[in-house]
Amino acid sequence: MTPDVGLASHGAEEAPRATAGRAPDVFSREGWVPMREHCRDEAVDFVIVGAGCGGSVLATKLAEAGHSVVLFDAGPFWRPLSDFASDEREQEKLYWLDERISGGDDPIEFGANNSGRGVGGSTTHFQMVSLRFRPEWFKSRSALGYAVDWPVDWKEMWHYYAEAERAMSISGPISYPWGPKRGRYPYRAHEVNEAGLVLARGAEALGVDWAPTPLATVSAPHGKSPPCVYRGMCKIGCSTNAKQSMLVTYIPRALAAGAEIRDLAMVGHIETGPDGRATGVEYHRDGGWHFQKARNVVVSAYSIETPRLLLNSACGRYPHGLANGNGQVGRHLMVHANHAVWAEFDREIRWYKGPPSMACCEHWNYDDDDPSRDFHGGYSFMSQGPLPSDFAGTLVGSTGAFGMDLRERMARYNRMAGLKIVGETMPQAENRVTLSDETDAFGLPRASVSFSYCDNDRRLYEHSQRFMTRMLEAAGGGNFLESASTAHLMGGCRMGHSPEDSVTDADGRSWEISNLWICDGSLMPTAGGVNPALTIVANAARIGDRMVRLAKRGEV
Amino acid sequence: MTRRGREDRPAPAATRRGRTGLGMLVLGLGLGLAGAAAAGRLARSRKHADIHDASLRRTRDGAAILGASVLMDSAMEHFRGGYENRVMYLGPTMAAASVAASLSEPRLHPGGSAARVAHGACLVTGIVGTGFHLWNITRRPGGLSWNNLFYAAPIGAPGALSIAGLLGLATEAMAVRQEDRRTTGRALAALSGLSLLGESAEVALLHFRGAFHNPAMYLPITVPPLAGIVLVALAVRPHAGGQRVTRLLLRIVGGLGVLGTAFHVYGVSRNMGGWSNWRQNALAGPPTPAPISFTGLGLAGLAALDLLDNARDRA
Ligand SMILES: Cc1cc2nc3c(=O)[nH]c(=O)nc-3n(C[C@H](O)[C@H](O)[C@H](O)COP(=O)(O)OP(=O)(O)OC[C@H]3O[C@@H](n4cnc5c(N)ncnc54)[C@H](O)[C@@H]3O)c2cc1C
Ligand code: SF4
Repeated sequence: MTPDVGLASHGAEEAPRATAGRAPDVFSREGWVPMREHCRDEAVDFVIVGAGCGGSVLATKLAEAGHSVVLFDAGPFWRPLSDFASDEREQEKLYWLDERISGGDDPIEFGANNSGRGVGGSTTHFQMVSLRFRPEWFKSRSALGYAVDWPVDWKEMWHYYAEAERAMSISGPISYPWGPKRGRYPYRAHEVNEAGLVLARGAEALGVDWAPTPLATVSAPHGKSPPCVYRGMCKIGCSTNAKQSMLVTYIPRALAAGAEIRDLAMVGHIETGPDGRATGVEYHRDGGWHFQKARNVVVSAYSIETPRLLLNSACGRYPHGLANGNGQVGRHLMVHANHAVWAEFDREIRWYKGPPSMACCEHWNYDDDDPSRDFHGGYSFMSQGPLPSDFAGTLVGSTGAFGMDLRERMARYNRMAGLKIVGETMPQAENRVTLSDETDAFGLPRASVSFSYCDNDRRLYEHSQRFMTRMLEAAGGGNFLESASTAHLMGGCRMGHSPEDSVTDADGRSWEISNLWICDGSLMPTAGGVNPALTIVANAARIGDRMVRLAKRGEV
Repeated sequence: MTRRGREDRPAPAATRRGRTGLGMLVLGLGLGLAGAAAAGRLARSRKHADIHDASLRRTRDGAAILGASVLMDSAMEHFRGGYENRVMYLGPTMAAASVAASLSEPRLHPGGSAARVAHGACLVTGIVGTGFHLWNITRRPGGLSWNNLFYAAPIGAPGALSIAGLLGLATEAMAVRQEDRRTTGRALAALSGLSLLGESAEVALLHFRGAFHNPAMYLPITVPPLAGIVLVALAVRPHAGGQRVTRLLLRIVGGLGVLGTAFHVYGVSRNMGGWSNWRQNALAGPPTPAPISFTGLGLAGLAALDLLDNARDRA
């Protein structure tokens, strides 16, 4: 018999679960799987800080190659079946809500939109859109004339995209209208919901391509994951395990391969020895500070926390923080413009049904020649399915509606549809993470973030709003409403070709300290016009293979 | 404003649902019909001394199994679609008629009978149904796209009703023309062979949709088409031999119908909540009534073989 739905347990947040040689079995309500444990005083091969896309994948790769790995995460180790409730408020527990100081001309809002906290990282609440970069974006500067080139060839990334898609059992269309030919997605695309068909009708009316969105939720059973039930709770955590987050894909693999995971373990400092090399990490768990020795330290804490940890680890030898001799740590932080247009329809749409973004359009990522194009970079956009309080927030934020007015607008919720972009922003040195004077509960200086759009960014999102309005109109919508926000984080510790203008080389190895690595979204030199998780996973898989090869040659 | 109690609050507008009551009625009616017919069948003498009569009976049993599969499948799938369009009642209703007609004994002389009319009507309903399904597919954005072929009305499903009707009509013709077994045998071999190929094509589409996530999903797209091809070959060249292999293949096809049902029952259990959430999962998971149609077609194929064998003995 299935226990009552909607009851949330808080055990995961109260005390570490991955202890005493066992870790939570994420496919059960209360079960366990065995976990190898490591001694704190014995140096492990790799300590990895952050169990999101970057950390989980890397831990799996390294452990499967036989290395000893301890993977830290500041957040809880959830069992989705028993810990996730179908309640927007309750599920705020998935977000990194600890305060960050946000400034600049266009301060970023943090939390639900961009950062998760817990084993699995932001993928426990990501919306599963899994798109590949356009190949030319890896050579943005030389091929398209803006931003910088990645130190990685697109063909290599293409290989790892395929690997990531297999590992996450992506459900995608048989033929994808944009970019070079790709292999078949492991699972078939889901049935496009009515909200997605609005995009489809609009696209067909305007004569541009559309596609069912490749999604990281299975359309047929996979292992212990049941197929998606289309209840649309994805953004607040999937309580069926249909969603192929890191928590249910790579994390079980990492554990099986012998990696140890320490949940509710906030890493505060990376220690360096007299020779300038990293010696391990100091972390807070179970009410006290501890030290774990390591031969290599990898930081995978995402674009705010990765720079913050490196800056917070400043010491006599590295007064400006680790790997920051050139002052690049924290710089070139990017977001995705997340502007949207909403419209009302005569008929019911019931857009909350199914994953929120079931149809997508990458037209403006690939069309370089349209006369209306007045910006560098690209944007994709998807159909939307915000949950009620999320959408009420959007309404309040963009119209100031209140009281009966808000109520009346929300009464039209089931007849609404919307389109929202994932719009590339330019890497700018002054968009950056620094340390503030304020400290958090651990006594660690908080991150201070400064962000401003540049003119190109503005032209891009304004273009998108014009285009999406046309599309919604062509699909039969009316009474349009525009909203502005940001999503995702990229950059902050970018990889590059030379130590002058980047933090790491193509392998994620910091230029300054040879056994200090970075592996997460902060490595991204450009943002691209697609959601970043698949790229971060693919890049981490690539780096993982590289590190294993380097280790075999004794170069780690 | 005055506070209103629970009693004087206006009744909420009814949320639009499928006319489930009628759907259940159709389903119940069909089941009742099938049950009654099965009872009648049991009461009949089981032994058919004559190969011709036995084959005739076997084919009709096959058609009845096929009809029963369509009955359950279309009743469930159209229920899932909320019987949004009234013609959706036709599928299960005609399938029920098909079951009843197939279980009755054929008439020995030409001329109308209720059963013959029912078989003919099933044939037509299947064709019209295919048209409706095609319309349902192409009116969605994307037209004849994979997404629509996977998720709109299943293109191959109504065809099964036509096949059930055709098999029924074939047995009616056989009953009238007692002689000339070779011709009837060949016709039946061709019909069941082509039907197996068609069914397998439908399965291939839907198992492809399921990404062949279980290797067993390849079984129904390998053995039945093979059996279908040999049957068609036999229809074209009845003297070519290979009857033994064909017979074996058809027995396996029949077994696959049962095995497939078991796999689909298991498939439903792999959905969130498993069978304890049967109300949703029986509809969302793989269709449990579908695989048994292979058993029906296998029976028809075996009957064709019997006729051909027998014709050879006499020749
Ligand atoms: C609501 C939402 C929807 C999204 N939708 C999509 C989408 O549809 N498609 C897509 O591609 N992307 C999406 N994303 C973005 C995607 O989830 C992230 O880009 C990706 O997860 C980042 O991977 P990462 O490894 O760099 O960091 P994360 O996955 O965020 O992992 C970082 C981890 O590090 C931990 N950590 C941080 N600091 C410390 C420390 N000091 N000590 C210990 N642990 C620490 C954190 O707890 C966290 O678990 C979405 C994000 C959000 C928030
Ligand atoms: S719609 Fe699918 S992926 Fe989203 S929460 Fe529900 S089961 Fe999970």
